[in-house]
This record gives sequence, structure tokens and C-alpha cells, in this order.
Amino acid sequence: MSKSVATDGLDLPWARRLAGHSDPSRRFRGVGPIVAIALVGGIWSLVAYLQIWSEIILPTPDRVWSALVESVTSEGGRRGLSGHYLWEHVGASLWRIIRGVFWAAAFGAPLGLGLGLFRTFQAVAEPIVGFLRSLPPLGYFSLLIIWFGIDDTSKVWLLFIAAFPPIAIGVAAGVASIQPERVKAALTLGATRRDLVRHTILPSTLPDLLTGLRVAIGFAWTTIVAAETSNGIPGIGGLAWATKKELRSDVAILCVIVIGVVAVLMDLVIRLIERRLLPWRRRS
Amino acid sequence: MTVTPQQAETAPSPGAEGETVRGLRLRGVSHVYRGGVRDVVSLDPLDLDVVAGEFLVIVGPSGCGKSTLLEILAGLIRPTSGDVFIDDRRVVGPSRDRAVVFQQSTSLYPWLTVRRNVELGLRVRNLPRSERRSRADAELARVGLSEFADQWPHELSGGMQQRCQIARALAVDPPILLLDEPFGALDALTRENLQHSLREIWRETRRTVVMVTHSVEEAVLLGTRVLVMSHRPGRVVDDLRFGFVTLNSTVAEIRSRPDFVETCRTLRSQLLGL
Repeated sequence: MSKSVATDGLDLPWARRLAGHSDPSRRFRGVGPIVAIALVGGIWSLVAYLQIWSEIILPTPDRVWSALVESVTSEGGRRGLSGHYLWEHVGASLWRIIRGVFWAAAFGAPLGLGLGLFRTFQAVAEPIVGFLRSLPPLGYFSLLIIWFGIDDTSKVWLLFIAAFPPIAIGVAAGVASIQPERVKAALTLGATRRDLVRHTILPSTLPDLLTGLRVAIGFAWTTIVAAETSNGIPGIGGLAWATKKELRSDVAILCVIVIGVVAVLMDLVIRLIERRLLPWRRRS
Repeated sequence: MTVTPQQAETAPSPGAEGETVRGLRLRGVSHVYRGGVRDVVSLDPLDLDVVAGEFLVIVGPSGCGKSTLLEILAGLIRPTSGDVFIDDRRVVGPSRDRAVVFQQSTSLYPWLTVRRNVELGLRVRNLPRSERRSRADAELARVGLSEFADQWPHELSGGMQQRCQIARALAVDPPILLLDEPFGALDALTRENLQHSLREIWRETRRTVVMVTHSVEEAVLLGTRVLVMSHRPGRVVDDLRFGFVTLNSTVAEIRSRPDFVETCRTLRSQLLGL
């Protein structure tokens, strides 16, 4: 009887990968999202066309498609949905995001620098920033409406307060993690305080600023959609919220898809900006 | 010319072009690390005179305070007691008259190309762009990195990164060049290569150099003067003069000379005995 060679060792793809070896199987790379969309779309179509539930509970894909067409066309004096075209809804939401995040960056980045550079300032300011960050933005939205009214001002304030803590904390962490040798090099080459900030600290923290910005935009987007539940038309969140009155589940699903796609696109734009501003990060 | 200490402090390093420095003086310089549990004396009070043009190598076991001493010379750490003087000016902080080459190449800026890294010290001096560039290119040529001027630092090998650091330090034309175990993280062959280059640079410029290393061979090969330091608390136990660096032979030839080998052996056993 011949003795077989030892074959009782573990041979699992995921174990090999966790052990630090590259996974040779790349079969699903790149096609993953396509498969995912096809899978969800397939199940949705199947269930919807089988008419297990009524069209109001689960509209078919072509109903949602008609809602999309309706949202970008006008018919008999009716413009799009809820009086505005789809791009006006999205545009209004994005404009709120841009203003809120702009002020958040303008305030959060210097604040983060201060937190990272000055111990006494950090001791006092960090608890405040941390407290604000831990609040769900809608928790203080009523207060902002009382202070700034029901129009856009209160929404931009809401986004500002929601978006600046991640930026400030990201920049502060970036300052704290600057390689000491970078600072030593600048000092021994004769850098002044201004040189140190301009040539060493700002460029060192730029990646952290962009990461903070990405987190902030993501957070602001989920916040604005919720905030538009009050006086949010035009606005994609306002549109989504309004559908419940007329049981327009097709529009509701359309809104979900649009909100998701916009979120993915915004993330993509920030990543492109990162690639552009941080070219040294591109490994050849 | 005598300068009162007060004046010296308010005018740290004019850093004038072609500034000549006669030497470096340490008087009673000591350093104590304030620990949480107890203080650690890293450097016993030290008097030292470094003459201009000297290649001083400080060698000793790890934890002998030699890197602390170098950072004190650089002005990055304040001595617990005593003073460092450059000629008659008391050192109160870092300055470009003492450029430093660090062991870690993380001191290079990853967002700047190799050339722009070398220009860093010139940028903070607000030199015009063309002059920055020509001086950076000259230093890059000196260390053999001309072809790599437009690369990112992370694209360079460890040895080339150290060459880049040397070029960056030399670009500000510092009267004193400080090196903190500059080749400590390199493989043996690369290390020999860089020792050769540093030797050539010193022979060419006769700049005042203070280098810290734990390699006995490196100390004997490069130093005109070698300070041997003891384990903590750091103390200078020997002060030796060598001339191997001034010989007109290649590094390989020097390494195989019997007197070089013998000197290294003696120094090594002295260090092991500490």
C-alpha cells in the first residue's frame, strides 16, 4: 500500500489572502457592481411582475422608469414632479451641500490646525467639537429653524454644523501624525514659523483634509435628505418625503436610486480631486 | 569681534552666503531625560571643541546619548545644562548653518519631487526660482542623482533617498554638516557606496562635519577625529585622530590596509569593553 503525500494542510483562498499572499483568482474583479445591479434588478422585476403585492407596495421597474421620464418632462403646464424637474431637485440639494460644506471646510480646517498645534486650545475646544459630532443633526434642527427660519439658511447651518467636526478632527489628527523628521528637516534648513506652516504642516495635512472632506460630504448628504422633510421642495429629500401623500411609491424608489447614485458620484469626484492634488500617492 | 550673548540670541544665524565658521564649542553640555518614574541622565557634562574643517565622528553603543548630542548641536534639543557656541554665538535653536542628514528618509517630503526637496532650504530663503534650480541641480549632480531629479522620493531606493537628503543639506551651503547615523538603515553594499560619496564630498569641500554612527569601520574610515562614547550616561572615553580619510587611495584599498584593520580591531575591543 503506497502512502500518500501529506495533503492535510489548509488550502483556502481567503486564508491565503489574510496570510498576506495575493489571491490569484481575479474572476469577479470589476464586474462585481454589474452583477450586484443585475441581481437586485432581477429579483425586483421578478417579484413585481409576479404581482405578489399590489403596484402601490412594489411598483414595477417600468413604472419607476415612467416616473423618471415624468420627472424630466413637462405635460400640460405641469413641470416634472412636485413642480420641478428632477435636476432642479438634485441641484437644490447639491447647492445646499456645497454651501454647508464650504463653510464647514473654511471653519473646520483652521480649527483642526489649531487643535493639532496648540495643547491648551485643544484641551478646551476638543470636547466641544466632540460633543457636536456625537449629536444626530436632526436633533438640533428645530433649534436652527427657530433661529434662522424655515428656508435655506437653517439647512445650510445644519450642514455646516454636521460637516465641520469630521474635517476639524481629521486635520487635527493629520497634524498630530506629521513625521517628526519632516519638522526637524524644515527647522534645520532655517524655516520660519510661516515656512513651517506653509511648506511642512499644510502639505502634510492635505490628505487628511481631503479624507475629512469626503466623510463630511457623505454625512452632509444623509443629513440634507432628512432635513428637506420640512420645506424641502425643490430638493431630492423633499421630493422623496412628498411621495407619501399620494402613495407615489414609484417616485419614492426613483428618489432612492437618485440619492444613492448622487452619493456615489460625489465620492468619485472627491477621489478624483485627491488623485489630482496628491499625485505622489499614485504608485507606479 | 566679540558679541555679547544677548546680541547673539536676538540674531540667530545671519546665515550669510559663504559665511566662514571657525569652530564649534561645547561647554558643560549635559542632558537629562525627564522620565515619568525617574530621570535618565543621557549625557554627562561635556566640553568639546570642534575645529573648522574637521570630520568628527562620534561612535558608541546604542543608548550612549550620541544622537541626543547631535540634536543638541543641531539646536533641536536644549541641553539640560551648558551651552553650545558657534564661534561666539550661542546656539539657541536650529538654523541652516547646521544642516542635518537624518537616519530616516521620512524627512524627505513625499509631495515634492527630488529636485524640489533639495530646493526646500532655498525656498525658505526666498531665493529666485532660477537660482534655486541651478543650486539644486549642482548638488544633485554632486551626489549622482541628476537623472532622478523629477522622481518622487518614494520611487528612489534607500541609498538614493539618503543621497537626496545629503544634497538637500548641502544646498543651503551650511558651514557645519550634521549627520545622524545617515547610513544606519542601509544594506552593507549601499552603505559602502555612500561612505565613498560622503568621503569624496568632504575631501572636495573640507566642510566641518559631525557624524554619529555605531559602525567602528565607518568612524575610522571617515573621521579625522573620533570620539568614543560610553554607555549611558554618555561620556567621552576617548578622543582619537585618524588620517585614513585624507589618504589618496580608494575606500576599498583603505579597507584592506593592515593598519586600518588593526585600528578597527583595537577600537572595537575598546567599545566592547565599555
